[in-house]
Amino acid sequence: MGLFVLSDGMGGEAHGEVASALAVETVVKHCMEGENNPALPVFGETQAGWSAKTKRLSSAVHLANKKIYESAAAHSEQTGMGATVTAMWIAEDRLSIAHVGDSRAYVLRMGGLQQLTSDHSLVAEQVRRGILTAAQAEESEMQSVLLRALGANPEVEVDAEEQPLFPRDVLLLCSDGLTRMVTEPEIAGTLQSDPDPGKSAEKLIALANERGGADNITVVVVTTNADSKGWFSWLFGGKQKSSNGTGTAGGK
Amino acid sequence: MAKLSLMFEKKLVKEVPVGSRAVSIGRSPDNDLPVDNLAVSNYHARVYFEAGKLVVEDLDSLNGTFVNDMRVERATLHDGDSIWIGKHHIKVDSRGDAPVPWDSGRKANAPRINETMVLDTKVRRDMLQQAAAMGERTQFAAGRLKVPTIVVLSGKTDQKEYALTNKLTVIGKSSLATVRIKGWFKPAMAAQINQRDDGYYLVAGDKIPSVNGAPIAGPVRLNDGDLLEICGVRLNFIFRE
Repeated sequence: MGLFVLSDGMGGEAHGEVASALAVETVVKHCMEGENNPALPVFGETQAGWSAKTKRLSSAVHLANKKIYESAAAHSEQTGMGATVTAMWIAEDRLSIAHVGDSRAYVLRMGGLQQLTSDHSLVAEQVRRGILTAAQAEESEMQSVLLRALGANPEVEVDAEEQPLFPRDVLLLCSDGLTRMVTEPEIAGTLQSDPDPGKSAEKLIALANERGGADNITVVVVTTNADSKGWFSWLFGGKQKSSNGTGTAGGK
Repeated sequence: MAKLSLMFEKKLVKEVPVGSRAVSIGRSPDNDLPVDNLAVSNYHARVYFEAGKLVVEDLDSLNGTFVNDMRVERATLHDGDSIWIGKHHIKVDSRGDAPVPWDSGRKANAPRINETMVLDTKVRRDMLQQAAAMGERTQFAAGRLKVPTIVVLSGKTDQKEYALTNKLTVIGKSSLATVRIKGWFKPAMAAQINQRDDGYYLVAGDKIPSVNGAPIAGPVRLNDGDLLEICGVRLNFIFRE
């Protein structure tokens, strides 16, 4: 189906895991149902120029927010649980992205790693507003403070957009556990070192572990190929290091 | 809660409370206290709480901000003070409670935040506001309204101007490119512009673009007014108000 979802949970005990699992499950289910039933309601605001898939993906993230929020409201022990979500849906040479939180999507294209999402964290917002430099943000103690996450409020603002894909693009979804430990040039080098997306995902996790990555690290790598007729196909591999097990990734 | 009353001679023009957000004062109508007078700069001054104190800050205005009769760049305000801007003045009423400042307790119980936490919108606004006050003078209002834009100076493209709204903008012949270059022998993906937190970066595609006449060696952060040349197409990168 070309749908890839990564979610990183937060909240004490095992509730972060509950939230991230609920996020992935809801997004995948809503997108699959939408494929079978185009009349399925669309949640949240959409832009007129978006494809049906982008609208559906954005809708799925709105719905996931609602489900997590409602679950936390109904179970007092889950108070404060939440999750990030970064989702990609590939249709031929078009990519739809929907995103909330500080997990990231990247594309490796012609050797360069380009970021496809903006972090909804306090420090990232301060860099965008010119209050902090990117280097200061990396040193900040406030890195974990999010301005947006699923489950925090009854409604959430979702970033969604569309991108063209080109042959040999490599797509990456990752939780902040990776990007805090491994630099972008290292990520680019690792993705280029192995054509097998499962192996490069493993290598990225190993690299983060060498640095003593304490956080949960979840990685999904997707390689896109075009055959002689120009049809796209994709291969993917995911890998997870769960020290506190709050990340979830799914693909369909 | 503290209150600001904009007066012209003895007449009340507008009254606003000062909460966690700064109150902006200036000629531009998007200010919280718009002052319609040519002697007043577009974004002239702002008033906000810092560490529990009400502060006025002049935003490099042409004709200055005065508290009572003293010209100030930045001053603590007291109940009953008057801020003079041109021929208008703003009466300060700061009886009542000041909001609990985020900054004052920050060092003492500095949250060693290892676990991810989410800020609700009010706390978020307070923190950003405080962070802004701590940092350089930053005119948020003005900065946020600027849209990065590509203006086509010469060459064949599908539009004359493009607002860069995507995280990644593709420039090339591809039918999916945002900036579509027309003509024979043009690459599908000639160059890209990636939005990062600290700015917009031009990245090579199938061709090496140049910025202000110099071919780029790697990703280059674009500045307002830069001239780009990509496959014979000349583009101007600007921040449009």
